Amino acid sequence: MSAETHQPLSPTTGEPMTTIARRAKAGLWTLIVMDVSGTLALIISYTYLWSLNVNGGWAPPGASLTDAQTNAVPAKSSATFAADWPFWAIFGIVVLATIAMWFGYREGKRGNHAGLIVGAGAALLISIGGLVAQWMQISTFPFGAGNGAYASAVLLLCASNIFHFLMLIFLLTGIFNRARKGLINKSVYFQAQLMSYWMVWICIAFLLGALCTTFLQVSPNTDPAIFGTFQQQQ
Amino acid sequence: MSTATATANVFGSEVPQPAQHGQPGGIMRRLNFVTGLIGGLALATIAGVVTNILTPSGASTATFAPAAPDYVYLAVLLGWVIGFMAGMGAFVGPIRWLLGRDITHADAEYLAGKDLGWKRYWKFTTDHKVVGVQYLIMVMIILGFGGLLAMLIRTELGVTWAEVFSPSFYNSIIGTHGIAMIIGMIIVVMGPIANFIVPIMIGARDMAFPRLNALSLWLLVAATPCLISSLFQGGVQDGWSVYQPLASQGPPGMLGYQMTIIVFAFSTGVASVNLMVTTLTMRAKGMTWSRTPILVYGVFAAALMGLYAFPFYQYSQILAMSDRIFNTSFFDPLEGGSVWLYENLFWLLGHPEVYVIIIPSAAVLMEILPVFYRKPLFSFNFAVAGIVGVVALSGLVWAHHMYMTGWAPAVNYPFMLSTEMISIPVGFLVLVAIGTMWRGVVWTRLPVMAIYAVIFNKMIGGVTGIYLSDVPVDQYMHGSMFVVAHFHYMLMGAGLFGAMGGVAFYFSKMTGRMLDERAGSIGLWTAFVGFQITFGSMFVAGLQGQPRRVLQFDSLFNISNWISTIGAYIIGIGMLIFLGAIISSWMYGEKATSNPFGSKSLEWQTPTPVPLENFAVLPVVTEKPYDYGVPDPYQKELAAVDGDFDTQKVGSQS
Repeated sequence: MSAETHQPLSPTTGEPMTTIARRAKAGLWTLIVMDVSGTLALIISYTYLWSLNVNGGWAPPGASLTDAQTNAVPAKSSATFAADWPFWAIFGIVVLATIAMWFGYREGKRGNHAGLIVGAGAALLISIGGLVAQWMQISTFPFGAGNGAYASAVLLLCASNIFHFLMLIFLLTGIFNRARKGLINKSVYFQAQLMSYWMVWICIAFLLGALCTTFLQVSPNTDPAIFGTFQQQQ
Repeated sequence: MSTATATANVFGSEVPQPAQHGQPGGIMRRLNFVTGLIGGLALATIAGVVTNILTPSGASTATFAPAAPDYVYLAVLLGWVIGFMAGMGAFVGPIRWLLGRDITHADAEYLAGKDLGWKRYWKFTTDHKVVGVQYLIMVMIILGFGGLLAMLIRTELGVTWAEVFSPSFYNSIIGTHGIAMIIGMIIVVMGPIANFIVPIMIGARDMAFPRLNALSLWLLVAATPCLISSLFQGGVQDGWSVYQPLASQGPPGMLGYQMTIIVFAFSTGVASVNLMVTTLTMRAKGMTWSRTPILVYGVFAAALMGLYAFPFYQYSQILAMSDRIFNTSFFDPLEGGSVWLYENLFWLLGHPEVYVIIIPSAAVLMEILPVFYRKPLFSFNFAVAGIVGVVALSGLVWAHHMYMTGWAPAVNYPFMLSTEMISIPVGFLVLVAIGTMWRGVVWTRLPVMAIYAVIFNKMIGGVTGIYLSDVPVDQYMHGSMFVVAHFHYMLMGAGLFGAMGGVAFYFSKMTGRMLDERAGSIGLWTAFVGFQITFGSMFVAGLQGQPRRVLQFDSLFNISNWISTIGAYIIGIGMLIFLGAIISSWMYGEKATSNPFGSKSLEWQTPTPVPLENFAVLPVVTEKPYDYGVPDPYQKELAAVDGDFDTQKVGSQS
């Protein structure tokens, strides 16, 4: 600790940790911009294919739709839309983990080190639970990857969730371990703070996915473009 | 072994240190490019063999092709990238963070390459100057590879009386040339110059996140073999834009392209984060936005465009790979997919990428002009407005590439308007350049010659671009050699010649040697002449109606193709001369002084070679960067505050 300023200093650069924190915060915002673009690419893909319903191939083949909604393309299997509630359940899990992390961060900032460790640990355990739940949801979908555009879009959204869960688990393990070792404390808590911010964005990403999969199921396009005759002649 | 160190002297402050585990650097002392190669090759081999064993015999893809080559090739690519990065030590930092084993100042100095000599260029070195030089070498390799393919293309098109390559191989070299050159051009300024120069230019000791800096470079190194290997797996046969559904039906080589883009986009993303945060948070005291050099604006703008646009490109390839491997149907119309979705995602990057290439090149030129004309940059605010305008409009022009696809004809005209509008801020930049030159007393050195070449090329590329942005003209010209000539004038004529000027300008600071400007000038002008011959003739072929990406064509186009091929060889000779000047100067050139061109910006006030920490004491900026005619804006203040940088001994490295 510098005798002049009494601020914690970075062991590698000698700068005040507040400077390092400001830099890391800017880095986090830019990383969020990058992840927002990636997530938007998936959301755009989902809504684009949903709105077009090309060849009447949006819905899984066994979904109970009217002829007009499918443009009379015959069903090939009994696959249907996915149930709504698991998306919201997984979203709820992420929100819970985020609340736990925020609790930990706030407690750590106030000097309650045990609270920080408990919050980060709880967030970690909840996130692991979320990963398991996400995996279970994917493995019990009533459709496979080859069952049309809806199935493709939903599976990729879920894959994105898994990617986010894996990142969360890695980062939360680090936060928990570092808090346990006293490397995150009342004086230097920016990593916990940034983790909390990051998790808010993750909640938004999961929310966007859940909104799509819940409210944008049946395509509004009842007169879709038909390309080729291969499918209709089956 | 754990030897706790109480404190370390870090730039004059006694700073408490975490426990030192072993020697500084830890396991990173044992990791380098060779271990990266071994790790990559070993994991690629294991992944390929295991996948081959696990793939059921007779498995087929959605297009009824055998699945095993796809699965095995993808496993090999993944194994290569992960194994190479692990072997380089890319995962050591995150694991140490996870375990709570923070690095010490001694660790950081080792990682930055202190006292490692030439070996630091073969390691996961964090020093921005080393990364800049590594990028310079990678750029030369990638552009050299792409240039070689260009020679093959022109050979095929010039030999009108015979077929030199098979049509599928010709298609492969077209696609691979395209993406190799795009990658090379994206990093040609953002890699070497931005990494080496920008931190010094803003008065910082390093980038904001040094490990991310090394990560971005070595990800690029990992991605390059993926692209080259695709040539041996059937190649990229659908042009650099790899439109669906052709790409999904193509050979396994497509997976090499997709893996390259996924890894490269990640590399670009972390590089963008680093450059933006460095600019935002690490500018020297007193360096307000009005005192920030224009190159920093250009680099920041390109990083911002890359940050928001590259993920779309990355995801377009992830979805395409998913269609191929997991049988999803994002781009398969029979199953509800849409090829227009691919085109939208692709071009959401595809056009901002043009500005990611051009803006930093233009900014370098605006950095050069005041130095050699000894005048302030004409209308600094206008230049900034031009850059801001380009960034603002860059995300609103993508669909001008899709006029002829049949997608949403109603939006063609709004996109035509936005495309024409973007020529206004681009025009600002040209006007600033010309305004700076106006009535100046020029000191004609190689960087200035590059500016003349760029202005000429940009004028032709820009004007033909305005034609092509018009829907009626595009309906006639689309898919013709006219388009090929146009974008080469922009990307190569403006982007690459600008980057050559930038390299010529900063060569002495980066290498410690003076560039042989005589040989460099001969190379530059030879390439320039060849360029006009090649692409001027290509304009003619396009106006006559020659389609692009076509191996065989009517004899009507023979003459223009012969001329283009002769021009291409001249470009090749010019580039080889320029490359030879770089290599020979780097090895045997005259030793450079710290500020051979008498520039006033901060990067030239450091000694050459630049010491590890850039500045013994961080500078304070009190003047604008282009106040030529005002005596010594920096030296005056810095000498008073910190002493003379040129004469300070601050532990420079050879």
